[in-house]
Parts: sequence; C-alpha cells; structure tokens
Amino acid sequence: MHKTRVKRTRRLSQDAKDGWVLLSPLLLLTGIFLVYPVFSNFYYSLTQYKGFGEPVFIGLENYVRMFSDDRFYSSLKNLLILTLYIPIGVGLPLIIANVLRTGLKGWKLYRGLLYLPNILGPVILGTIFSVMLSQVGPITEILTRMGFADANRIYLLGRSKSAINTLSFLFVVWMRVGFGCIYFLAAMSTIDSSLYDAAKIDGTNALQDFIHVTIPGIKFSIQFFIVLAFIEVFARMYGMIFTLTGGGPGFATYTLEFGVYMLSFSAYQKGYAAAWAVVLFFFCAIIALIQIRLIRSEERS
Amino acid sequence: MRNTERTRRLLHRRISEGITYLLLTIFAAIIAYPIYFSIISSLKTPTLYTSDKIGLPTAPTLANYTSVLTNMHMLQFLINTLIVVGLSMVLYFLICTAAGFAFGKLRFKGRLWAFTFVLFIQIFPQMVIAGQVYQLLNKMGMLNTFRGLILVWVAYFAPFGTYIMTTYYASVPKSLVESARIDGANVLQQLVRIMIPIAKPMIGTLGIIGALAMWHELPFSMLILQRQQLRTLTLGIALMQGEFGLPTPVLTAAILVTSGVPLILYIIFQNYITMGSTAGSVKG
Repeated sequence: MHKTRVKRTRRLSQDAKDGWVLLSPLLLLTGIFLVYPVFSNFYYSLTQYKGFGEPVFIGLENYVRMFSDDRFYSSLKNLLILTLYIPIGVGLPLIIANVLRTGLKGWKLYRGLLYLPNILGPVILGTIFSVMLSQVGPITEILTRMGFADANRIYLLGRSKSAINTLSFLFVVWMRVGFGCIYFLAAMSTIDSSLYDAAKIDGTNALQDFIHVTIPGIKFSIQFFIVLAFIEVFARMYGMIFTLTGGGPGFATYTLEFGVYMLSFSAYQKGYAAAWAVVLFFFCAIIALIQIRLIRSEERS
Repeated sequence: MRNTERTRRLLHRRISEGITYLLLTIFAAIIAYPIYFSIISSLKTPTLYTSDKIGLPTAPTLANYTSVLTNMHMLQFLINTLIVVGLSMVLYFLICTAAGFAFGKLRFKGRLWAFTFVLFIQIFPQMVIAGQVYQLLNKMGMLNTFRGLILVWVAYFAPFGTYIMTTYYASVPKSLVESARIDGANVLQQLVRIMIPIAKPMIGTLGIIGALAMWHELPFSMLILQRQQLRTLTLGIALMQGEFGLPTPVLTAAILVTSGVPLILYIIFQNYITMGSTAGSVKG
C-alpha cells in the first residue's frame, strides 16, 4: 500500500518533469510570437506610433478617436451582418447532411466537389470571385445571354450593400457548406442507430426523427460548428477581403481584422491600429472562452 | 390493393431520390464552377477570353502557364512555398506531437491550466499580433528570411495541431505507453521510440490541416517576405492583380499553379483528406 503510493508519487513527479520538457518548445514559441505581441499591443494602443522611431504615450486618445470613426462602426456593422448569415451557413449543411444520412449512391463524387473550396483557400477564392463577379466577367455574360440587357449594371461588388452581402454569402455560406456537410455526416454516423429504430416503432416521420434524434445526438458538433463559424468571421477573413473587395467600395467591407491591417500597414498608424486590435482581441477572447467551455463540458460527459 | 400501395411507396421513394440527386448536382455545380471557370479561362488567349468568357477554348493554349511560371516568377514562388511549408511542417509535427503527448497522456500539476491556455490562443486572428510580430522580427534581424516565417507559422498554427494531437493521444490505450515509460528512458528516447511511432496514423491528418493552413496563409508572409524573389505562391497571387492589372487568362493560370499541388494531392487522397478534416471537432 505504502509502496504503491511512493511509486505513484514518483511517477507523477516524473510526469511533471517530462510534461514541461515536452511542452517547452510550444510554450516558448507561442510565448514569443503570440503572447508577447498581444501584451505589447495593449501598450501600443496607448501610444502614437508610426512604425518607426519611438512610440509617444498619449493615453486613451486612440480609443476616443476610434469611437468617433465611421470606419470602426462600419466594421462592427459588417461583422453583425456577417454573423446574421451564420444560421444559413449552419442550417443548410445540417439539412443536406440529414438527407444524405441514410446513404446515397455516388455520394463520394459529390463530396469531392463540395469540399473543393477548402482545398483552394480564401485567397484563391477571393481572387476567382473578384474576376467572376466583375462587371465584364462571366456572370454578366451568362445573364446577358439569358436576355438581361442591363446585366452589367448588376455589379454586386460595386455597391456597399450588395458588396457586404455578397462577401457574407460567399464566406459564411458558399465556402463552408461542403465542409459542413462532411462534418455533420461524420457526426451523425456516431449516433446509435437503435435510437432511429426505436423512433420508427413509435411511428415518427422524418422531420420528427431529425428534431428528436439527430439534433440532440450531434448537439456538441452543431455547437462546435457554430463557434468555428464565429472564429472564421472574426479572425480568418483577411485573405478573402483583401483579394475580393480590398475593403471597398469605400470601407463598405471592412471588418475589425481588415481595419487593423489597413491602418497599420497602409496608413502607418500603428498606435491607432493597436486600439482596434484590442477590441478585436476582446471579441475573440469571448469566442475562445465559449469554445473552451464547450470542449470542457464535452470532455466531462 | 396491397400491391398498389407498394408501387405508390416505391414511386414516392424514387421521386424523392431523384429530387435529391437533382438538388445535389445543382449544388455541386455551383460549388465547382469557379474552378471549372479557371481551368477553361487559363487555356484561352486573352483575345478569345474577351470575346467569349463562358465557352470552352476553341484552340487550347498553354502560353499563359509558361508566361506565369517564367515572367511572373511563379516557378520560383512554388519552390519557395515547398521549402517553407516543408520545413515548417517538420517542426510543426515535432512540436504538436510532443505537446499533444504531454497533454493527452501525462498527469501533472498545471496541465489543465496550460491546456486551457493553448485552447485560448489557438483562435487569435493574425491581425492582433501582426504589427508586433513585424517589430519583433525586425529587431531579431529575421525580416525577409524563411527562418522568420517558419518560426511565426509554427507558433501560430501549432496550438490547433496540439489540440488535435491531444485528443488523439487521449484516445490511445495506456498500455501502449506504459511499458516504455517505466523503462526509465529519457524524454528524447521516448519521443523517438513511443510518441512518434504511435502518432503515425495522425501524420496524414496533421499534415493536411497544417500544410493547407500554411499553403493558404497570407498576412504573415506578406509582412515578413517583402522581397519579390522570396514570395510564396499565395502571396504572389494576392499581390499579382494589383501589380500587373493582369488579363484574366493569365491570372487564372496563376490560380491553377498556386492550387496545383493541393489539387493533385486532393485528387489522389480525396477520401483521406475529407475525413481527416473533421479531426478534433467531431466526437468519437
């Protein structure tokens, strides 16, 4: 009894030693290139800094300026519009996956095509769509041939409202549907099939099965997918905005992330950009905490 | 009577199946159209493209590809990308394996705290840190070096890879690990003898997730690699439009060169890639 406890303690201290050694490369790298930058960003947000020379401490001036900047409010509004597309971006693949749940011949071929956007990546997709949706692009030509004489006036990326909605649709819905189908199908395959059999004995229809068996069965996956969508919108959009709209027209497709880039590297107002980055940091911290809670509660069950 | 009921049911099923196929086909066509458009446009001459933007090329030409690879240095960019992504992946794999093992299989004080930290930093947008990373590399003299980009990429992408490896190691039976640990082998020996061999089934998944993320990465490469001859493919194409005001056939050829390697690998390993993509986020 006593002996095993000694062994166990020794084992634990060995675990601790090995554990920290194994973690050290990760902690070192992330410490230098992720944690330190986040902290120094807080400091820069209180300074006036052009990217060279010495930063000058100016207190909260950057924040005051930010809260009276139209670009800032436009970015927040755009993020709101983008998140409004998330229910479609989650619901559509969920419904498709449910239809395909019982299997369909030739699904592999479709799956191969649906996953393509993930292979191409946001920079390439933004580039292709900027060509396809341009006033002299193929979409205009298709519409013209179909008999719409004014097709070149439907310039989706040329007007503020249609530009942000096009961007939202492409990024949140179009780009993620394929992955969503594959993801939800993988999740649905883990549901115990006896649950469906039991439901069948009760004489339920497909819709009832979907609501009472499928959705509760993959609740964690749905929640996780929603969180992923938020992460993409707040933290992973830069590549597509840069190539699709460049933030324009005007600043109609700015997000916080894109604004930080423009202010920091195009306008050389690094101190002011850091204030935007602090706001972005807090949004992302909230999303991260939700994700952590989700993973924790899943681990416990 | 019963027979007609069965026929009716069968007919009903056929119809709904037909509708499913139809909708799925339309859907797949919409998703695949951009890449189809890129392929046909890249084979057209600029004059042909101007007169016909949606038809098949009448006399396919590879001239756009030669021009992109040589005049626009895409061949150089491809080599750069392969080098940086390749070296980053080696480091990425080692770091994620070591850290994933520590989180998934060892029990020690502070583990939970450290794991929460990794989950927390995993989602941060590049833009929150980009400006500071630039200053840092500038001070270290690592701007315009592959070294600098590799370190930043690995630091940025390793937390998610670590999370995936943690869930994997947590699912591995204890007995696989125990015997070698009791041997009293040191950490490095354990890494080579147990951790990496056990991680083998994950090399593919981790490779796909990590390498694709790096292949598509834009902001860091844009800030760190400012000399043209150092550019990666994704960076090359992002800056190309603005720099040259390119005709579409040339631009689409550049798109296909950029996506060429991922696309070819995808065609070969389709099953593996689509299934691996859900790692870490689906229970079971």
